[in-house]
Amino acid sequence: MLSRSAKHLYWLARYIERAENIARMIDVNLELILDFPDDHSLNWKPLIDTLDINDSFESKYKNYNESNVLNFLFEDKRNLSSLNNCLEMSKYNIETIKDDLPKTANISLNHLYDHILGQKISKVHKRRRLQHITNIVSMTQNFFGAINDNLSRGYEFEFIRLGRFVERTDMISRIIDCLCISKSSKQTHDFSTMEWISMLSTLSAQDAFRKESKGEANRGEVITFLLKNDSFPRSVFRSLITIEACLKNLPKNSKLLQMINRIINISERSKLHNFDDIRLHLFLDNLQKNVSKIDSKIHSTYF
Amino acid sequence: MKLSWSKYELSKSYDEYITPKRTVRGHLRKIGNFFESLSVNDLQELDSATKSAIKSMGINFRIHSEEGSEERTWPLDFIPRIIKKSEWKIVQNGLEQRTKALNYFIEDCYNEQRFLNSGIINKSLITKSKYFLKFCKGIKLPNKSWAHISGSDLVKNIKGDFHVLEDNLRVPSGVSYMLENRYVMKRVFPDLFSHYGVSKIDEYPTKLYECLQDASFSKLKRPEIVLLTPGIYNSAYYEHSYLAQQMGIDLVEGSDLIVKKNIVYKKTIEGLQKVDVIYRRIDDDYLDPEVGNPFSVIGVKGLIRAWKSKNVAIVNAPGCGIADDKAVYSFVPEMINFFLKEKPILPNIKTFMLANKNERDYVFENIKTMVTKPVAESGGYGISIGKNLNEKEILKLKKLVMKDPKNYVAQPLIDLSTSPTFRRDSLFPRHLDLRPFILSGKQTYVTVGGLTRVALKRGSTVVNSSQGGGSKDTWIVDA
Repeated sequence: MLSRSAKHLYWLARYIERAENIARMIDVNLELILDFPDDHSLNWKPLIDTLDINDSFESKYKNYNESNVLNFLFEDKRNLSSLNNCLEMSKYNIETIKDDLPKTANISLNHLYDHILGQKISKVHKRRRLQHITNIVSMTQNFFGAINDNLSRGYEFEFIRLGRFVERTDMISRIIDCLCISKSSKQTHDFSTMEWISMLSTLSAQDAFRKESKGEANRGEVITFLLKNDSFPRSVFRSLITIEACLKNLPKNSKLLQMINRIINISERSKLHNFDDIRLHLFLDNLQKNVSKIDSKIHSTYF
Repeated sequence: MKLSWSKYELSKSYDEYITPKRTVRGHLRKIGNFFESLSVNDLQELDSATKSAIKSMGINFRIHSEEGSEERTWPLDFIPRIIKKSEWKIVQNGLEQRTKALNYFIEDCYNEQRFLNSGIINKSLITKSKYFLKFCKGIKLPNKSWAHISGSDLVKNIKGDFHVLEDNLRVPSGVSYMLENRYVMKRVFPDLFSHYGVSKIDEYPTKLYECLQDASFSKLKRPEIVLLTPGIYNSAYYEHSYLAQQMGIDLVEGSDLIVKKNIVYKKTIEGLQKVDVIYRRIDDDYLDPEVGNPFSVIGVKGLIRAWKSKNVAIVNAPGCGIADDKAVYSFVPEMINFFLKEKPILPNIKTFMLANKNERDYVFENIKTMVTKPVAESGGYGISIGKNLNEKEILKLKKLVMKDPKNYVAQPLIDLSTSPTFRRDSLFPRHLDLRPFILSGKQTYVTVGGLTRVALKRGSTVVNSSQGGGSKDTWIVDA
């Protein structure tokens, strides 16, 4: 398989997965605000923090208010991680590999592009906004579903899966990290249960969490679940295992397997229950760094 | 209201369906009657079924103009162009003969130059041409194949006889559309195919693959073959991607290849992998910045060195453009004589060399009946059709020719044959040409039929899709 094709497949999957996660974050925040209409301290800043794009945000806007943050996350050209940019980048990556993908996958992406590209979020009526965003998530899932159902297992499939789960690991850890930081900075409120539930729902994890833990959604339980659960597909641990599975099917993988195994071991051994916010942040920060090392190694090995 | 051939507009040219007495030609009676049984509604339905099949399959091509570049849906007219098998057999033999002679000619130009020294042709016409690549001197290729893949444009004159209009030896395109046209037509007219004994054409990708294998210098049973494309913005990218997919070979861009110690490798996830044959869809000048355009970013540095060391085959070979020149074209009958000791089967069209004063004077006097062409352009660009020019434009054309007469040839305007073609609500005669494709490997293979191109505007003879032409499926039938 050509290195260039592998690289395009990998980044195609990363950008689509990133778009999905951004849509999920926006979705949950919009809902949370509906539940606390009068609480002005519930702000939009954590979303920008999560993506670590505060500098470029502040170069354009003063206030982290709803419309500024939404514009920035949706269509702002300066924000490399805006939904629009993610989709434009995925479009660029798919152009020369279209024919390697199942037709249904191409069609579902075209729907997604039609739905989002060139749309301004401010032009979408408030009543339809939530639906608009939920649609993004279902469309990206449609794409990956088409890939899962129709693409033969082989290098093409593995590079898509690899890109998707590398991106997912990174995004989950950012989402957890961000919520922990924002929580510790504003102690005045007491809707922590709500916040933990919203974090779960960002990752469509409420149902799985309830089934597994049967208890109250508290910090320790939720964090342990999202980081260490071995059966939920949107947990860090499960994502790491998936990355390992992809790598096993690729050539020249010994160094990469060593690296991923080390990360898996660290995650397994860590006693997250006892971590305070600072230690948790360090842990997550470290995880992101390790994922980024895996990403560079994937580049130097295959592309 | 049903369609009726008695109301069909007669053209001044040879119509391939309808005689001047408005009867359907013998071998077309069955299908002629079929179309006559249709109503306007039926025709429009067939037209929209054709269009939607093309759309859903994503068959398109890209057009570059001053306003930018855009993707367009491939234009296919659903009325097939029909040729008798017995007639086709002759064309096929003629093309085989012609292509063989052209390949011998190219190898001769870069080696012994027997033809050039025979006095038949002005030697400098070849050696001073920009397509004569000095670095090809002394190179001999397997099966003497230089133009492995070529496409000749054929037209039928007023009597309905095929003539060769030009030979395209530099990466001719269109074959994927020939294949896709058939694919679409089978979906639109499933019943017709079973009735008419239409010869199948789908062996082309296999034949192409074999031809590429034959070109290899390596003794490997399965040489590593890639298709080199300039990239997605090329007007024929659709075809590049289609052919690579059909043959199951990698579609590479220049940056996917690297030359080390005169060996070409492709960059894969498993590391560098040696490449034996490159089917390139890039012009000579852009192939290798070391010898051609130094700013080429679509080529591969060192490619020509690797080719000269016989470590990689390039298809078509560099330098084969020397025979793809409208001035050289006029010598093909002599080449056939010279190299094969045979009489040409397919006639040429009389070609006047404007560098020659006598011929030029004659052409200038009769310019209204002539088509003037620059010798080295393709895609229908730069062609002046005399009868369409006003006095001012004629003066301008003459001035242009006088600036560099050896760069121009002229041919009498051929009344291209016509075929009924669907326009809006009925069938009208429109002019056609035909581009069969010829593969030169161990054996010579000619496609069964080819890509029929049709000028969609009334009276127009410009068939190029980049200039508003359409296409038809070409049926070779038993009758």
